[in-house]
Amino acid sequence: MFVKTSPTATGPLILRLDLFLPILLLFPSGEVSAQSPDYQATIRPLLSRSCFQCHGPDAAARKAGLRLDLGFAPDTIAEDLVIPGDPEGSLLFQRISALDPEDRMPPEEAPHQLTPDEIDQIGLWIRNGADWSRHWSFEPPRRIPAPEVSETDWCIDELDRFILHQLEQEGLAPSGQATPELLLRRVCLDLTGLPPSVEMLDTHAPEQGADWYERAVDRLLETDAYGERMAVHWMELARYADTHGYQTDVHRPTWPWRDWVIKAFNENLPYDQFITWQLAGDLLPDAGREQRLATAFNRLHRQTNEGGSIEEEFRVEYVADRVATYGTVMLGLTTECARCHDHKFDPMSQVEYYRLFAYFDDIDESGLYSHFTNATPTPALSLSTPEQDQRLQAVESGLRTIESRLMERDHTGLDAFEAWIADPPSSFEIPGLLGAYDFESIADGRLENDAAPENPGALSGAPSLTDGVRGNGLHMSGDDNAHFPGVGEFDRNTPFTISLSLRINEAAERNVILHRSRAWTDAGSQGYQLLLEEGRASWSLVHFWPGNAISIRTTEPLPSGQWVQVTVTSDGSSRAEGLSISVDGERAEIEIVRDGLTRAITGGGPGAMTIGQRFRDRGFRNGDVDELRVFDRCLTRLEIRHLFDGVALESARLEDPDALLPYFLATVDDTYGKDLHELRTLRSERASILDGTTEIMTMSELPTPRTSHVLERGRYDLRGEQVPPGVPDAIMPLPESARTDRLGLARWTTDPNHPLTARVAVNRLWQIVFGTGIVPTSEDFGSQGAHPSHPDLLDMLALDFIESGWDVKAMMRRLVLSATYRQASNTTPGHRTIDPGNRLLSHGPSRRLTAEMLRDQALAASGLLVDRVGGPSVHPHQPSGLWQEKSGQVYPKGSGDALYRRSLYTFWKRTSPPPAMIILDAGKRNVCITRRSSTNTPLQALVLLNDPQFVEAARVLAERASEDGGTTPREQILFAFRGLTGRHPSREETDLLMALYETERDSLTPTEALALSETGDAPRREGLDPTHVAAMTIVCSTILNSDASVMKR
Amino acid sequence: MTRPTDNLDVTRRQFLSRMSIGLGTMALGSLASGGRSITTEEGERILGAARHFAPRARRIIYLFQSGGPSQLDLFDYKPKLEELNGQELPETIRRGQRLTGMSGNQSSLPLAGAQFKWKRHGECGAWVSELLPETARIVDRLCFIHSMNTDAINHDPAITFFQTGSEIAGRPSTGSWISYGLGSENENLPSFIVLVTKNKGGQPLYSRLWGSGFLDSRYQGVQLRAGRDPVLYLTDPEGISRSRRRRMLDHLRGLDELQHERESDPGISARIAQYEMAYRMQMSVPETTDISDEPDSTFELYGEDARTPGTYAANCLLARRLAERDVRFVQLYHQGWDQHGGLPANIRIQARETDRASAALVRDLDQRGLLEDTLVIWGGEFGRTNYSQGALTTNDYGRDHHPRCFTMWLAGGGTRPGTRYGTTDELGYNITGNPVHVHDLNATLLHIMGIDHKRLTFPHQGRDFRLTDVHGEVIHDLLA
Repeated sequence: MFVKTSPTATGPLILRLDLFLPILLLFPSGEVSAQSPDYQATIRPLLSRSCFQCHGPDAAARKAGLRLDLGFAPDTIAEDLVIPGDPEGSLLFQRISALDPEDRMPPEEAPHQLTPDEIDQIGLWIRNGADWSRHWSFEPPRRIPAPEVSETDWCIDELDRFILHQLEQEGLAPSGQATPELLLRRVCLDLTGLPPSVEMLDTHAPEQGADWYERAVDRLLETDAYGERMAVHWMELARYADTHGYQTDVHRPTWPWRDWVIKAFNENLPYDQFITWQLAGDLLPDAGREQRLATAFNRLHRQTNEGGSIEEEFRVEYVADRVATYGTVMLGLTTECARCHDHKFDPMSQVEYYRLFAYFDDIDESGLYSHFTNATPTPALSLSTPEQDQRLQAVESGLRTIESRLMERDHTGLDAFEAWIADPPSSFEIPGLLGAYDFESIADGRLENDAAPENPGALSGAPSLTDGVRGNGLHMSGDDNAHFPGVGEFDRNTPFTISLSLRINEAAERNVILHRSRAWTDAGSQGYQLLLEEGRASWSLVHFWPGNAISIRTTEPLPSGQWVQVTVTSDGSSRAEGLSISVDGERAEIEIVRDGLTRAITGGGPGAMTIGQRFRDRGFRNGDVDELRVFDRCLTRLEIRHLFDGVALESARLEDPDALLPYFLATVDDTYGKDLHELRTLRSERASILDGTTEIMTMSELPTPRTSHVLERGRYDLRGEQVPPGVPDAIMPLPESARTDRLGLARWTTDPNHPLTARVAVNRLWQIVFGTGIVPTSEDFGSQGAHPSHPDLLDMLALDFIESGWDVKAMMRRLVLSATYRQASNTTPGHRTIDPGNRLLSHGPSRRLTAEMLRDQALAASGLLVDRVGGPSVHPHQPSGLWQEKSGQVYPKGSGDALYRRSLYTFWKRTSPPPAMIILDAGKRNVCITRRSSTNTPLQALVLLNDPQFVEAARVLAERASEDGGTTPREQILFAFRGLTGRHPSREETDLLMALYETERDSLTPTEALALSETGDAPRREGLDPTHVAAMTIVCSTILNSDASVMKR
Repeated sequence: MTRPTDNLDVTRRQFLSRMSIGLGTMALGSLASGGRSITTEEGERILGAARHFAPRARRIIYLFQSGGPSQLDLFDYKPKLEELNGQELPETIRRGQRLTGMSGNQSSLPLAGAQFKWKRHGECGAWVSELLPETARIVDRLCFIHSMNTDAINHDPAITFFQTGSEIAGRPSTGSWISYGLGSENENLPSFIVLVTKNKGGQPLYSRLWGSGFLDSRYQGVQLRAGRDPVLYLTDPEGISRSRRRRMLDHLRGLDELQHERESDPGISARIAQYEMAYRMQMSVPETTDISDEPDSTFELYGEDARTPGTYAANCLLARRLAERDVRFVQLYHQGWDQHGGLPANIRIQARETDRASAALVRDLDQRGLLEDTLVIWGGEFGRTNYSQGALTTNDYGRDHHPRCFTMWLAGGGTRPGTRYGTTDELGYNITGNPVHVHDLNATLLHIMGIDHKRLTFPHQGRDFRLTDVHGEVIHDLLA
């Protein structure tokens, strides 16, 4: 053990200088170097990479009891582990520099060895005093005054001084200012994702005054396009898509959330609220629709409906995805490591992981979405229109009136009843009987219906006759069924009653007794069902289980081995209190399992009421049934008793006539009957309004929180200790008074003292503007993440961001107004050598346009772009057959405006995303990512050259240039060039393009010219010469493919 | 150090030029810069990996039988199962293992013997059912693994696991890993090509199966499709002849060179190179997919189906043509093996569509001397149960997913021919000897390509990811 008392317990370590690597000679004892390697920037990352696997936060994997991630406080480590000033005497250094492979750390087989230079660095660090501190990002940001610089005139914002200071240290001067044209194009692309229009180019230039650039920036920040551009980034973080993912990959309309994001950016919702709403908008006091809608963020993960999947396995997967996305987006931390064991590098134990997990585990959801219906997985938010709301209100008020009127009649003595009871009928009938099946015989596979002979029951498989409660009954195998077409097709507004005698011969966890539905859990199907759960009768009406259903269950199991009559009713109210279960004629004591049904229970295709079996569910194995009765009324208690004993109504007349009042009202009294009828009409009307509203998956807290557990090895079925919600303490403890729900988590996350949230957010804004974050690994601020290039600058921006009230627009404005941003992007070879990746910002940002920007730019330049904001996603052109060859679905290509909307509105099918976007490095939207790679491949060349969308844009731009760009081809070329690149072409460029134009014009055959000038769906402009248009199309396509257009400079 | 240092193009090319296998460039497109920088360490790690073993194969053709073919009706002969046909699956065999929700609730799990004739074949005496007569003829060239097993029990997670080493979406596929590790041997074709049988239906496929996950998009599989555009956007628009395209590219180059004078960005020359490569691809891809130069003997071998673009047979033939052109990784998909019900009828169709061409591919590669350095893999994402899903009748049964054991075969690439590796119990439910997990198979195929699966890694989200996660053993007994 590497403990204080026995530092060398791992084995005798005889130190001889000649056993060390010769690099020790580089710093002879006693000489303190002026250039000590920085602990945070250099030493800790080395230790993290090469040592933390075995000597880090993971307690289970820790070797020799040695932990290096917490630092080197003397009272926490062995005294000779690190002796400041004395590397040779420090065990750490001895072991990493030992020549003997037996002694040497990391061990030979470890994947991350230390290079001689790195060992040297660690030695030097110890030699210089071994200063250390906690991992930088877990310490709150500190405000360090901006450093002194010599070229103060260059600086516009305080942030520029941080940049300039480092440049000066490296002996570099900043680059000159970008030309106004290039700067304007750059800022337009960065703030709006669109190139400047020619109008904007003409009105925002230095000739318009010294503040031309500020005015341009302010104008851009006020456009809707700003929110759209920012939303693209956020959608990718949030793994937004228009389908569920996994193999069947069904459509799911989540665009209302996307539209909310656009709106939030455009209205400049402060970032702390922006993320609070998304994490926990449903829990805010007086949460409105927007706050609830925002929580869809947590539901954008993939979901499956694959047949046979185990529901809990996938539910756990979804919760884990929420945690991972929260961790990456809000905290800049990788959490997945801690799902199976303590985190290897960052201070997050497995228990802490599952405490975070508990926050996101709190909703009434299923691990599978519906296979046979298009029900929105619960919890879901209804997005009714104001008009629908109005209609609903009217119906609700009508319903209240009738319900109270019925209630009143229920309780007042009625003259009519007095008259009726004074001269009662000689025998009583129970009206509303639709089906009466006694299972006495099976004729031609049919079961006689005494109530409606035209609707007999039918059999599937071979249920056999057995002794019944009276005469014969049916014996069920569990795989066989009896079904009853035409009887029992009830919606949720229809009162009905079903009664059945059954005999349980075999104890089971679950039996399907009777249902009208297509299938169960792996299909999320709709309908009603009577089950036995551990022998207890459960009765439910289901739209989507578990979050949109009403369900009750008897508190006691049914007796087995004997006949028992079970009668279930629904009064059509869609409330759990409107359901009942009676056993042998008496109301059973029940508990309410679910009480929220707001949508139809009749979807999912044909399915007759069935006894004894259900697709992929557990049937009534070895059970007997008899005497099935179906009524289209909710029977009164007395009637139910009568069904059992055959005499209850008569007995009441003799013994307690007043007890017949409910029976009288329900079956005899006209006025009451009319009211009942109207009640049902209004309920149907309410249902049809509700069924017509769209829904979106959101978060909604369970009334009783689920208990969350540690899952051993991350496995859904290996439940360990129970854990309450909580956060990783080492980052920042939760206040004592914190709420234990997601709102508590959101408050913690947005606490101004939180060390990560603001840094992570500001870093991403920086990344949007400059291409690379101050922390390049914008997804990982932990031990394994990259060290910030300008730590003090990041802290200043984070603190300013918080102080500004988390003002995103102000931060974006500030970044693009800086002198750093305004630099030209061209560099000298000298700059490149010292600052190859531009991490020092020695020149302005340049980057290939994103997939979205490239297409949007082409559409904008050609004038095709339809700049409508929001709405359902659209299906622009894509090569045919791509959906079909994978899943048999047909891509519903749009027409008209749908072809020319901004790319963020393009329908994103996860299993077959828009191919051009994927080739151009768009994120794949399966899991959260915070940054894209930017590659350069021949397939990208093919997209820009040949994708009909780009060819069409070139053709339409050619037409536009021909009409609006001037009379000569030269002027037209200039027009097109400016549209795509934002600048004037040089003379050489124009000459070159003119030459191309002329050659093509002279060599195109009429057929070729016609073909080219007809590319795409947009109508041709009349009156233009096809040969001219075709030649100009080739010119436009050439410009569109050129560096000036493809790159942001 | 994790800090990015030098730019990709120089570093990579430098170390690649030192690699033991003679290869030209990294994956298609890596001549370019403008991509993400890789660290020296990363480069060295890849270099080390590729240098670690002498490769046995230079390329892989993966014949993926999507849906999960029934090993019990094709390769894993179980007379005992036939004998006990109709009896209940004994709990001593099932041992409480999880079943899918599709058959897990059945009241009865009746054992279902294969309803096909079986024979031993070749010198190795491998059992193959009558469904695969052509495969039966080449068994001495095959290396059967009867003891494959996987973690997943549903299609999507299982196929994702097979192809990416993880049930969770977002990881690179095997072909991407290999492209990333070894690059391309043919500058004019993508190094990772995907072929899907057309109009097949069945369990859906998804493009992420050949996606590059967190690796650069340049490493993703490129689908070759039957039809006008074998590669998406390959064909020039109507009205653009070859000479016109050439002229346009020359002028484009002119524009970019002028831009280079302004910006002095080496990325500009890299992009020019990509456009040239695209231009060459426009020639080389159609030349590869155009089978009109194949003699009649080819179609006698692969079957007449091979004349119809998009069939499995045509794709097998294409795979051979791609192998001839040194494409590193060819991934075929053939859907339709998911026989939950009506198995006897449906598996015949599947077998008819694939048997002849699969065998032809192996023979063809062999006769051309390509088999020795081409690894051919045949198999699906899991096997099928020994009991019937749904009713078992005298001439019909279905089988549910079975991850616990199933059969795959390998051929060529230095694998041991005429081998039957791994055993299952007499009812074909559990492995009784030499299990091969998906991670083991992936470790082995990387090994065959000369890569140490533990060292081909990519840093992502703070840790080193690899195809085999933290698992996988190379199965040396499979190798000659």
